[in-house]
Amino acid sequence: MSELLYEVRNVSRFFRRGEQTIRALDAITLEIGAGQFVALEGPSGSGKTTLLQLLGALDRPSEGHVVFDGRDLADLPDDALATLRLDAFGFVFQQFNLIPTLTSLENVEAALAPKGLEERQLRQRAELLLGEVGLADRAEHVPAQLSGGEQQRVAIARALAVEPRVVLADEPTGNLDTSTGRDVIELLTSLAARRGTTIVVATHDVELAARAPRRLAMRDGRLVGEPQPVPEPA
Amino acid sequence: MFYLRYVRSELVRRRGRTILTVLGLALGVSLVIAITALTHGLDKAQRSALNPLSSIGTDLTVTRGAQANVGGGPGGFGGDGQVLAANRSVLTDLSKLGKPGQHFVHDFFLPGTQLTFSAKQAQRQVAAISGVAAASTGLTLLAEHQQGVVPRIVAQIKTGGQRFNVQRNFKPPTAAELAQIRKCFTKARAAGSGSGSGGGGRGLGGGGGGGFGGPGGFGFGGGAFRKCLPARFQRFRATFRTPTQTLRQVLNPPQTNITTQPYTIGGVDTSNPDVALVTPSQVTKGVYLGRAGGLQALVSTSYAKSQSLKVGSKLDLNGTRFRVVGLVQPPLGGQSADVYVPLARLQKLAGLSGQANVVLVRAASGSSVGSVQKAIQRALPGAQVASGKQVADRISGSLVNASNLSHSLGLALSILAAAAAFLLAALLTLSSVGKRVRELGTLKALGWTQWLVIRQVVGESLAQGLLGGLVGIVLGVIVAALVTAFGPTLSASSPAAGTGALFGLGGSSLRATRAVTLSAPITVWIVLLGLLLALVGGMLAGATGALRAARLRPADALRQFE
Repeated sequence: MSELLYEVRNVSRFFRRGEQTIRALDAITLEIGAGQFVALEGPSGSGKTTLLQLLGALDRPSEGHVVFDGRDLADLPDDALATLRLDAFGFVFQQFNLIPTLTSLENVEAALAPKGLEERQLRQRAELLLGEVGLADRAEHVPAQLSGGEQQRVAIARALAVEPRVVLADEPTGNLDTSTGRDVIELLTSLAARRGTTIVVATHDVELAARAPRRLAMRDGRLVGEPQPVPEPA
Repeated sequence: MFYLRYVRSELVRRRGRTILTVLGLALGVSLVIAITALTHGLDKAQRSALNPLSSIGTDLTVTRGAQANVGGGPGGFGGDGQVLAANRSVLTDLSKLGKPGQHFVHDFFLPGTQLTFSAKQAQRQVAAISGVAAASTGLTLLAEHQQGVVPRIVAQIKTGGQRFNVQRNFKPPTAAELAQIRKCFTKARAAGSGSGSGGGGRGLGGGGGGGFGGPGGFGFGGGAFRKCLPARFQRFRATFRTPTQTLRQVLNPPQTNITTQPYTIGGVDTSNPDVALVTPSQVTKGVYLGRAGGLQALVSTSYAKSQSLKVGSKLDLNGTRFRVVGLVQPPLGGQSADVYVPLARLQKLAGLSGQANVVLVRAASGSSVGSVQKAIQRALPGAQVASGKQVADRISGSLVNASNLSHSLGLALSILAAAAAFLLAALLTLSSVGKRVRELGTLKALGWTQWLVIRQVVGESLAQGLLGGLVGIVLGVIVAALVTAFGPTLSASSPAAGTGALFGLGGSSLRATRAVTLSAPITVWIVLLGLLLALVGGMLAGATGALRAARLRPADALRQFE
C-alpha cells in the first residue's frame, strides 16, 4: 500500500438554499494513497464535485475532517489553503476555466506566477509544459481561438505546471467529443503517471472511469461501495 | 512582470469596457479640472479687481454727497446749489460747438454726485486732524465725450420793420352832422370871443361860400375844429411802422450722429503721489505722472483696451493735448477713474479752479483707521468718510456675481461631476468583476491568495483611472484653454463714494467699472487634483468589486454561472 495522502473522516457538506438545507455530502469517510488514480462515479448531484472541492481545499466541510498529508485542512487559514493549492493541487474543470484575456502561454504562467519565479524562468517553464501537451504552436492564441480539446490541454498544462501532488479533474471530458476526450485523458494520465501524481477524476463517463484502478461510486452524497473494476475491453 | 502583462491584456482585450470606463472617468476629471480652473480664474480676477483700497496707502476717502445738507458747515465745503444746478441738465448747447455741418469733438465735465470744495482748505483741515498721516485731494468727474456733426438747430427769425399806409375816403357829413358841427362852432366861438380874441370882420352869415376856415381864422385853433367833427372823422390817416424783432429759438436737439461716451476722469495731486487717486505702485506699464503736472495722462488698463490707447497715445481733451504716459490698474473703489490727469489740469478743463471733490487720507496706523474716520466726521459734519473696506463691500457687477456663483455652484458642480464619473466607473467595474467571478475563483483555485486577486483587479482599475485621468486632463486643459481664448468679459463696478441720490445724469452715474476677461488658468495642482481623483475613484471602484469577489470561497466562485 502506497503512502497515505488523504484521510477523509465523516465529512458532510450542507448547503442552505432558502428554507431548505441540502446535504451534498453525507458523512463520507475515505482514504486515498499517494500516486493513486481514483475515479469518482455517479449521476449529477450525487456530490462528486463537492467532494472534489473539499479534496482540493477549495471549500471547507460543514462537518468532519479532511486531512491531507497529515495536515487537517480545517486548521489552516484561507491564505494557507491558497498556498497549499499553489504547491500541491492542480485542477482541471469541465468548462476548462481558462482566463479568456490571456494567451495559452499566459494561462499556464498564471498558475506559476504566485511562485515568484523570474520572468524568464516563468516563460521557459510554461513553454515546456505547453510543449508537453503538444500546443507549442498555440502559445500566443487566446482561448477563443482554440478548440475545446486544445483548451483542455492548456488546462492540463496549467494544472501540472506547479508539479502538484494531486490533480483534481471535474468531468474533464464533459465538454469534449468522445475521441477528443479520450486523447485528453490519455494525456493527463500519462503525464501524471510519469510524475507520480495522484489523480482524482469525477466523471460519469464509464469508459473514463474504467481506466481508473480504483472507482468510487457516489449517490445522494454517500459512497456506495467501491465497484469492481470492469474487465478491460478486448 | 506577469501581473502587469495580465493587466494590459485585460485592458486591451476588453477594449469596449476599458474605453467606456476611461471615457467616463475622463469626462468627470475634465469637468472637475475645467470648473476648478474657472473658479480659480474668477478668484484671480476678483482679487485683482476688488483689491480693497486699504492695500494701496489710502485708508479713507472723504467726500461730500450732494444730498448732504450744508447748514453752515466747515468753510472748505461749498453749497449744494451750484453742483445741483450743474448736474441737473447735461444738455449740450450744440449751437456753441460750431457752425451747423461742422464736425466737433467735445468733452463735458460734470462733478457727478460729489460736491466740489476748495482743495487747499479741505486738505489743510483734514491734515490737521490727529491721526492723519497724509492727505491729498483729488477731483473725480464724470465726463461725457461727445462727437459728431453740429446740426442745424437754431432758427433765427427777424420780424417787423414793415410800413403800413392806411388811406380812407370818408362819406360827406350828413345834414344832422352839419347842424351839429355848426352848433359846436358857435359854442366854440362864443367861448373864444369871451377870451378877447378881438378881430371884427365879417359876419358869419355873410355871403355864401364862406368857409369855416377862411383866412384870418376864427380865433380858435384846429383843436376846436377837430373837437367838433363827428367821431368818425376824428380818425385820421396814419402810417404804422412795426418795431423790428429778432426771434432766436433753440429747437429741441434733432437726431444727429452725435455719440456720447461717458467715462470717469480723475485729477491727481501729483505733489503727493502715494496718497493720490492713483499711486505709482498701480502703474502697470509706462511711468507715473510727473511731479510738475504737465500734459500727461494715465489711463486704466480696461479703458485703454476699450479705447485702443497705448503708452504714447495722444488724448485730446477740448483742445488740450495730453500724452498717455502710463497704464494703471487701480483697485476698484469709490474714486477710481478711467483717465487720470494732473489735478490742476482737470480743474482748468472743467472750470473748477482750485476745487476738489475728494480728500484721500492715510491714517497713521492701520489700527487707527476707525478712530480717524470718526474724527474726520466730527470735524467736517456732512462729509462722507468711507474706509477701503466699506468701498470694497459696495462693489458689484457680473464678476462678483460670477465669483460668488462659482464658489457655491462650482463646488457643487465639481462634486456632482466627480461623483457621476466615479459612480459610472464603479458600476462598470462592479459589473465587470461580477462577470469575472468564476475567473477570479479559478485564480484562487490556482493558488492565488485573496490579496493577489484584489491587487490584480485594483491594478486594472488604477490603470483605467490613470488613463481616464490623463485623457480627462487633456480634455480639461482644452476646455480651459477655450474658455481663456473665448472667455466672456465680466465687469465689476463700484458706486461713487458719495452714494445715494443720483439725479439727472441720464442714467450714467459716477461708477468705476473694471472689465476682466474670464480666464481659466490651469495649475499643476489642478492637474494633480484631477489625476488623483481619477486614481482614487478607480481604485475605490476596483477595490469594492474585487473585495466582494475575492472573499468568496473558491468553490462558491467557481459554482457561479455553472
